[in-house]
Amino acid sequence: MKRVKVLLFATLRDYVGAASVEVEIPPQATIRDLEEHLIATYPRLGIVRNSMMAAVNHEFVADEQIIPDGAEVAFFPPVSGG
Amino acid sequence: MPVSTAEQPTVFAITESELDLNALLAEITLPSSGAAALFTGMVRGVTERGDAHQTLYLEYEAYRPMAEAKMKQVAEEIRQRWPSVQGIAIVQRVGRLYPCTPTVLIACTAAHRDTGVFEAARYGIDRLKEIVPVWKKEVGPDGEAWVEGDYIPRPGE
Repeated sequence: MKRVKVLLFATLRDYVGAASVEVEIPPQATIRDLEEHLIATYPRLGIVRNSMMAAVNHEFVADEQIIPDGAEVAFFPPVSGG
Repeated sequence: MPVSTAEQPTVFAITESELDLNALLAEITLPSSGAAALFTGMVRGVTERGDAHQTLYLEYEAYRPMAEAKMKQVAEEIRQRWPSVQGIAIVQRVGRLYPCTPTVLIACTAAHRDTGVFEAARYGIDRLKEIVPVWKKEVGPDGEAWVEGDYIPRPGE
């Protein structure tokens, strides 16, 4: 297992109640695995399951992406700046 | 975060400070510049189109390092599409912002107005609203709600 720090923004931060969480994941875990783990731990995230976006090291990534060691991982809803 | 060469100044930033539109325009104006297209958005206190409502304020937040990286990417995309653009400024203000307050600036300069500078600025604000990780919560007389976008970027976009 390895530890990964996950940053959360906007709706997702409100649902989790924290701006970041530390999670233990298997070495080969994907973004989808991490998302499922988060939803299982924080069920309110299920509300936004279909619109959760992920970034690894400041790049948008696919659900199948394996999380690299030491990566900065973030989950957030579709952006609404401007 | 000014990343400027003498030839092509590029300014991109997330800031808590008031947007100084004149100062930002000056930063991207060259001796050879003759035109600028400047877009700014402000907090709309009264919305009439669609679901009519009032807004007391907006609370903006950003994933700052990624937001600044994506702003830099938007500037690069503008330069690829409109090589005649000289200077580019992309600045998003965050924090609690009240009606009539400018929240964002996209400005492009060029030698002449007919070389794509209007389209470049339009592209910049449209793209910012697609890929720059910034969010706003709207607070009105009857409560608050996060505003959610509808664009899902592709991996690596």
